[in-house]
This record gives sequence, C-alpha cells and structure tokens, in this order.
Amino acid sequence: MISLITNFLTNAIQSGTSVLYGIYGETITERSGIVNLGTEGSMILGAIAAYIVAADSGSMGLAIICAMLAGGALALIHAYLCINRKANQLASGLTLMFLGLGIAAFYGREYVSVSITGLNKIAIPLLSKIPVIGEAFFNQDILTYLSFVLCPVLWWFLYKTRKGLFLRAAGEDKEVVYAYGKNPQSLRYLATVLGGMISAIGGAQLSIAYTKTWSEGMTNGRGIIAVSLVVLAKYNPSKAMIGAYVYGGAQALNVILQSQGVEISPFLLMMLPYVITLVALFVSSVRKGTNAPNELKNIIGG
Amino acid sequence: MSRLKNNKSLMQALSWIGMIIIAFIIFGIFLLMQGANPLEAYKNMFESTLTNQIGISKLILKSVPFILLAVATSISTRAGLVNVGVEGQLMIGMLFTITAANFLFTSLPTVLGLILLAIVGMLGGALYGGVAGLFRVKANMNETITTVVMNYISYFIVSLAVYGYLRDPEGFNWPMSTQISDSLTLPKLFGTVNIGIIIALLVVALVWYFINKTKTGFKMKVVCGNPNAAKNAGINVNKVRFFAMVATGAIAGLAGMIEICGVEGRLRTTTCQDYGYLGFLAAWMAWNNPVLSVATAVIISFLSVSGNVLEFKNNLPASSTQILMSIVLLAIMWRGKGRKES
Repeated sequence: MISLITNFLTNAIQSGTSVLYGIYGETITERSGIVNLGTEGSMILGAIAAYIVAADSGSMGLAIICAMLAGGALALIHAYLCINRKANQLASGLTLMFLGLGIAAFYGREYVSVSITGLNKIAIPLLSKIPVIGEAFFNQDILTYLSFVLCPVLWWFLYKTRKGLFLRAAGEDKEVVYAYGKNPQSLRYLATVLGGMISAIGGAQLSIAYTKTWSEGMTNGRGIIAVSLVVLAKYNPSKAMIGAYVYGGAQALNVILQSQGVEISPFLLMMLPYVITLVALFVSSVRKGTNAPNELKNIIGG
Repeated sequence: MSRLKNNKSLMQALSWIGMIIIAFIIFGIFLLMQGANPLEAYKNMFESTLTNQIGISKLILKSVPFILLAVATSISTRAGLVNVGVEGQLMIGMLFTITAANFLFTSLPTVLGLILLAIVGMLGGALYGGVAGLFRVKANMNETITTVVMNYISYFIVSLAVYGYLRDPEGFNWPMSTQISDSLTLPKLFGTVNIGIIIALLVVALVWYFINKTKTGFKMKVVCGNPNAAKNAGINVNKVRFFAMVATGAIAGLAGMIEICGVEGRLRTTTCQDYGYLGFLAAWMAWNNPVLSVATAVIISFLSVSGNVLEFKNNLPASSTQILMSIVLLAIMWRGKGRKES
C-alpha cells in the first residue's frame, strides 16, 4: 500500500511538472495583460526541439536551451501580433497553437522511433530516504527540481522586484506604467517571450525527462490546461503547484488503476484530468474575487 | 458616399487576397528550406484538385462541414465570444446522429428519418454548446478555455461510445460503429456530392439574414461592441451570449449529421477530427462574415484535399498543410481588418 502511494505521488509529480512550467509561464504572461493560448504551441515546440537536440547531440543542456529558444520564438510572434498589430489575443494564441503543433509534427516525423538517454533521475541524499514522499519528491530529474526552485524565484521576481512590480502594473493599468516613464508594451513583450520560454521547458521535461519518447501532439492539451489552471492559482506562481499536481494526480490515477488491473474504461480515466480542470476552473471562477489583472478582464470576459 | 464604401471594400478584398498570396510565398520559402520545390508542389496541388471531376467533387464535399462550422463560429463571434467549441459540438452532433440512426430510426422512410436525424444532431451540438454557454454566463468562465477543454473531453466521449455500445459486432473488432442503413443516407446531387452543400448554403443565407436583419442579431452586435453599453440599453447580455453559444452548437451539430449521413456512414474515433478547428480558422479568416466564410471554407477545403497530394507526390507530411493554414491565418491577422473595426 505504501509503495502504491509513493508510486502514485511519483507519477503525479512527473506528469504534473510539464503543466507546472506551463502555469508558471502563462502566469508571468497574463500578469502583464496578455493571455497566450499559444502556450500549447510553445510547449510542443519545446518538446520536439529538446528531443531533436537530445537525440542528435546528446547534450541535455543544449536541448533545454534550444527548447526555450523555440518556445520563446513562437511567443514572440504572439507578442508582436497582439501588441503591435492589435490582433485578437485568443485567436492569435490559438493559431500559434496550430502552428506549433504543425511544425512539431513536421520536424518530429523522423524522430518517432528514435530513442534517447534523456535526463536521468538524481536521488538527493537523505531527503530521498524520507518514507512515502521522499522517493516522489527527491528522486526526480533535474527539471523537476528546477520547477520546485522556480516557485519561490518567480514569486520573488513578481512581488519583490521593481521589474516585477512594473510588469504587474502593465497588467493592471498601463497608464500608470506610462506615468512612471516606463513602456508597458516592452514589459509585455518581455513577459510574453519569457512565458513562452518557461512553458517550453515544460515541453522539454515531457519529452526528454518524463516519457523519453516523441509522439505527435504529445502535449495533449497540457498548454491549454495550464492556461486554465492559472486562474485556479489566482495568477500567483506560489499557488501554481496545486493545480499542476491535481492534474498530474488525475493522470497518475490512470496509470495506477491500469497497472492494478481495475476494470474501468481507459477513456473515462483519460477524460478525468480534463474534467477536473473544468471543475477547478468552475470553482475558482465562482469564488469571489478572481484577482485577474484588470487589462485581462476585457479579453477573457467580464 | 456609396462609391467610397465600394472602394473601401474593394481595397479590403484586394489586401485580403494579397495576404493569402504572401502566406503562400512564406510557405514556399519554408518548402525550399526543406529541399522541396514549392512551384511544383503548388502545381500538383492545383492540378489534382481543380482540373478533374473527382477532385472538384471532393472539394465541394469537404467544403460543406467547413462552411457550416465557420458560419456557426461566426454567430458566437458576433456576440463577442471567441468560441472554439464547434470541434466538440461536431463530435457530439455526430454521436447523437449515429446513435439515433442505429437504434431509433433504423426503419423510418428517408425524408422523415433524415429530418429527425438533423434535429437530433442539432440537439446534440446545441446541448454541448449550451453547457459551455452556461459556464460562460453563470460562472463567468472564459468560453475559449472551456470549449478547448471540452473538445478534448468530446474525443473521449466518442471513443467511449465507439468502443462501447456503438461498436459494430461484425467489424472484426475494429473500433467503429455499425454502418447506418441506406435509407438514412443523404440523397446525391451528382457523383459523390450530396445535398449537404445546398443545406450549408441555405444555413449561410439564414445566418446572414439573422445577423444583419433581425432584432436579436442587432442585440448581438451591440453586446459585441460594448457589453456595458448593451447592459445600460436594457439588453440581457447573458441571454444573448447563451443564445449565441447554443445556436453555434446547433449548426455544428447539423454539420455532424451531414457528415454521418452524407459522407462517413459510421463513426470512428478519429472521424472528422480537427474539422472544428479548421472551421474556426475559416471563420476568422473571413472576419466572421458568413458570406465571405463560404470562400474561406472552400480555401481550407482546397488546402485540406490537396494537402494529401503533397504527401504522395512531394513526400511532405500531412502536417505541412497545417503549417500553411496557420501561416495564412497569421498573415490575415497581421493585416487586421483595415484598422477600423466595424
């Protein structure tokens, strides 16, 4: 039983980490007043870029850097279209999601059966020996550890630095930012591209650390789910883990029940994370005070 | 004054065509980078689709769902919503249709059976759209996000049914439903083309009339322009939005019925996947104008049909058409609608 719980937690974290990066990235972006549904595209581009570089060069560091560049580039298009060309943010994001999925499928077709070594698990001495949770939290790959570290770092950036303050102000009322002699638009560029880069690390975690395989469309809506879970996290990176691991938990439940031979349709289980996402979105929307940045309210409803 | 207006729409049309050409050029550069010859690829695409009857039949047949899904999407957009739910609503429409066709109406005469199936299909789509609509107006959940998530859920619902109660007992264990009876297939116009195209064009006319000439259509425009002003003018914004979501779903469901009764004959797990997204793209390419979206739906249909040729003749994967379509849409978004939103 204990090993089952450990197994469940390990799976939940492995599966939730990619979504966690997506939530981090999108939180930064949305805080500046831009919503980017292209997160899905950035994630899948991150996944394929990391996979290709990992397979061809064997360097995992380079793989992660390339993933970030690919995801950031896609987000840059979004920033340009929304900020300079005043395109509809939701439609632009969706189109970039298609573009990302298309490009990833295009370049990925030769890598479907290529295997990689990928990122291996690193057990942290002592901590990984803690009963039940030690194995799940402290015997993971480096990108999972990085996701733990990013939580306080991003919170600190948003709430304790001047840049973060202005970035949030750009999302609340851009006139205020102008009044301080800063340009809200360049802050939005920064936030959108940074968001795309962080989301892309999530894609990389999925392909080179968690599954260590490439398959077409492997992000399976994780980027979109991340965008939904940003609302649940109340636009705060310190609360991002809740949604991400609930999603991961639903995925893990699927794996565990299958392995235990429980008689239940796999499709019902596969549906579960999406249903839970809807429920989470529902709960956080009904709750008073969504905390959404003001400039976003015009775009995502009100 | 009217000449000025004509000039403006002419300029818009020209710049619109220009954007599509630019997209083809950008994609051509992409093909060059892949070592493929873009001119040869485009020539193959045009020749295979537009110079013979089989190609043209395929083009028309495939335009039908895209026309309907684009027009459906444009209703929501006109009410100020970015609704991508036609994908899932199409799935549920197909599911309702095939269920009714195989379990309820198997022995009905053609005309009655088809009318009932159309109603059932529309009901399925409307229900699924209505749920997203309720989320929007009751819980203030963003419709773009909920509809994308619901699209994923719809795939699993379809899989559940196809592997479950719908499964063809004589299908050698393939995951597919039983074929619908011959009496429930849509009558043919010529060749493989069925009356679906006429239905689709009728729906376009109806939606155009509805948006531009009715009171509810006008209310939608006000809500889209400024929801707060609409509220002050005594318009029930939530009611209008909910109605738009349901109407979008109903038309998407009708598209599902036409696909099942006119083209597919049975439901598989991947039947019509991504059609909804392509319909959405067609609507946005046409600035959500129902009449113009017929043209964009035909373009999407052309790209989709001729994309197979790229695969066979130029050894390019199917995803290349997806890239081309995204580039076309990005170009049109880059251009915007003449800067001034109407």
